[in-house]
Amino acid sequence: MINILVPIKRVPDPYIKVKPLPDGSGLDVANVKHEINPFDEIALEAAIRLREQGVELAITVVSIGPDEAEEQLRKGLAMGADSAILVQKQGGMDSLGVAKEIAEIAKSTGAKLVIMGKQATDDDCNQASQMLAALLGWGYCSCASQISLSGSHIEVRRETDSGEQRVSLELPAIVTADLRLAEPRYIALPGIIKARSKPLEKRVPVHNDQVQYRVLSVESVPSRKAGKMVQSVPELVAELKSLGAVS
Amino acid sequence: MSQTQSATAQGCDFLQGNPPKNSFYPEQFLGDESLMIQAAEQFSRQEVLPMSWRLDEHEEGLMKHLVSKAGELGFCGIDTPEAYGGLGLPKNLAARILELLSLNASFSVTIGITSGIGQLGLILFGTEAQKLARLPHLASGEKIAAYALSEPNSGSDALSLTTKAEANGGDYILNGTKMWISNAQWADTFLVMAKVDGDKVTAFLVDRSCPGVSISREEHKMGLKGSSTARLVLENAVVPAENVLHEVGLGHHVAFNALNLGRFKLSSMSLGPARDAIGLASSYSQERKQFGRAISEFGLIQKKFASMATLFFAAESMVYRTGAMIDQAFQRYSGSVEDNMRAAEEYAVECSMIKVFSTEVESMIIDDALQCFGGYGFTEEFPIARHYRDARVSRIYEGTNEINRIFLVDRIRKRILLNRATPPKKDGSFVSELAELCWPLLKDGQIEKGAMADLLILMYGVQSCWSRGNALGSHALELAKSFENYANIRALEAYQLVTGEPIQIPKPHNVDQQNLAELVHEAHGPWHG
Ligand SMILES: Cc1cc2nc3c(=O)[nH]c(=O)nc-3n(C[C@H](O)[C@H](O)[C@H](O)COP(=O)(O)OP(=O)(O)OC[C@H]3O[C@@H](n4cnc5c(N)ncnc54)[C@H](O)[C@@H]3O)c2cc1C
Repeated sequence: MINILVPIKRVPDPYIKVKPLPDGSGLDVANVKHEINPFDEIALEAAIRLREQGVELAITVVSIGPDEAEEQLRKGLAMGADSAILVQKQGGMDSLGVAKEIAEIAKSTGAKLVIMGKQATDDDCNQASQMLAALLGWGYCSCASQISLSGSHIEVRRETDSGEQRVSLELPAIVTADLRLAEPRYIALPGIIKARSKPLEKRVPVHNDQVQYRVLSVESVPSRKAGKMVQSVPELVAELKSLGAVS
Repeated sequence: MSQTQSATAQGCDFLQGNPPKNSFYPEQFLGDESLMIQAAEQFSRQEVLPMSWRLDEHEEGLMKHLVSKAGELGFCGIDTPEAYGGLGLPKNLAARILELLSLNASFSVTIGITSGIGQLGLILFGTEAQKLARLPHLASGEKIAAYALSEPNSGSDALSLTTKAEANGGDYILNGTKMWISNAQWADTFLVMAKVDGDKVTAFLVDRSCPGVSISREEHKMGLKGSSTARLVLENAVVPAENVLHEVGLGHHVAFNALNLGRFKLSSMSLGPARDAIGLASSYSQERKQFGRAISEFGLIQKKFASMATLFFAAESMVYRTGAMIDQAFQRYSGSVEDNMRAAEEYAVECSMIKVFSTEVESMIIDDALQCFGGYGFTEEFPIARHYRDARVSRIYEGTNEINRIFLVDRIRKRILLNRATPPKKDGSFVSELAELCWPLLKDGQIEKGAMADLLILMYGVQSCWSRGNALGSHALELAKSFENYANIRALEAYQLVTGEPIQIPKPHNVDQQNLAELVHEAHGPWHG
């Protein structure tokens, strides 16, 4: 039996337009629907498929976040995870803080494999997985487009600009999910009912580090000003010169 | 029944003059219930809506494929008992899930019937063997059910049906034509009402495979084009006697009790397309610019969104208030066929009221939504024209809204005679005051009865809105006020019809239409607390 850990982050629905808060300190997400970070959902789907291919696995989903993240964990359980852990944390935590918490959980659950999204769609940091690999000293491969388990190894394919790369990692290891790794399944009503009896454990954060960066301001992208129509190329050149765009 | 149980809620309680204190409202679907509702919405948006055109063209195999896919996810047996392959979830939650599965009306009627009136007769009246033989296949979506009551010459007057069944050894021989049968093309099993010995209405489970069973060509319909509506032709069809559901001569109990609950389900199904239409109109009107501004900024467009939000809020509040009471009735009376019948009948009046109201609100909302699209709404470029055509039939089937109006008033009268209801009493609202005044003046004229039905529906609506508004505050209260303004004017009209007298209408609540419109745009659809 291999224990797999799949961290899932609660993020604002990526398909909904959000606005900055009036004071620019962040985004106004108070009344916005939240979802599992799409890349994490792909990671979870990939883990479930490994199990469906016949490998004996126990899948634990973990989320570090507010109490409301229980919603996303329940969804993870409904998709097919066996157990869930919520590290209760109101307010922000940076990538290193997250990596430290996941590292603790990986140790305490005896996980041999962590599959996680390559990045979260809210802050797009793309750092927690690398930091986690460094903290644990495990093998690491990012942006997997296909994975399979064979004995004590995980075989990973990744799509790069120059072609497909194949990587073989010895467990324990950390793999991050790219968009094409697996298409998440629909959650089924029987799955949701089954999830009622699956364990969901709540923990407090082990580390209490300060966030090591400061958000200066969050602003909307300014809307584009109306353009100007010109009649000919010389007119265009003259216009660009007057704007200082060409000399 | 023990003392404490008899003190619990009963059908027609809404007439008693005390506004409900803690009636259920949809924000009370919590935790994994809301996950189930989201799952249904995701399925609708990703699997069904993109197929709308292909469904309308009856692409070979597509509808059956979607039903079986929905079945794999549990959507064809949500409230089917667990013992027969369903999930055994409460009816109210099942209805909310069905609402979200209903964003496309053709898919809605297909799954609504195979999981609703196609199964309900069996669930309420079937023997163990009958249920075990059929329900698991229906709940899983591998097989599809249909309900066959109407005939070419027997519609509203359903009991005038002429399909005959004659006993012949261990079988019955059925002859007749059932018309307008939804799902006919795909169905494996039909609940057919026929007369034994000339006048004994009897329900039969007729399998598609029985000899003598055939399906005519599809009706050429104005809407719901993706659904199947055809005639079921029975020509010396041989049906084994063990396929009689309930008792010979008691088929009307089967047919009408299935319909009571069917009307409740249809109410929630009608909200699905209305919900989608509100979302579509909201996006469009924020993008469409005229006179240099998004049309959503114009007062008359804002008024439409305020009105759509208000009517949706009211219908939703009434439907799920009723559903919770139906679930309680099934907890109170459950087990025997008599218990099931009692539970299915207890809220028959409420079921008719919400059927009428939701299906009318569905059309009003979609009409307003279409208007936001201007000329584009009149083309097939946007899905709103399809919603417009599809919605029309909701007021016609499962009892026309005329029949439901008459039925509910007659049923209340009957219940009063049996001491199972009181005449309407005022509960603090203007609408209920008018209902109380009108009731004793009522004679047998249909026009007055129809107006009375409207008063009662509006009274139920105002109660449901205030109850939800008081529980949730702020925006919900604003919507409740907005609905009461609407209800008062309609009630005035009904009062004048019954009495022929004028009456002073209360001062309207102050409602900020623009704010209500904003709520819709923020939610990308109807407001939800
Ligand atoms: C798309 C579609 C799907 C359907 N699916 C099914 C199905 O699956 N199974 C099934 O059994 N049936 C089904 N029906 C039939 C439907 O239930 C009937 O059409 C409906 O009951 C009305 O009957 P009718 O069409 O004969 O109209 P009629 O009964 O002829 O009514 C015509 C008009 O007269 C009014 N009227 C009739 N009697 C009265 C009265 N006493 N007082 C006042 N007004 C009255 C009606 O309200 C209506 O406005 C379906 C119909 C359609 C269009």
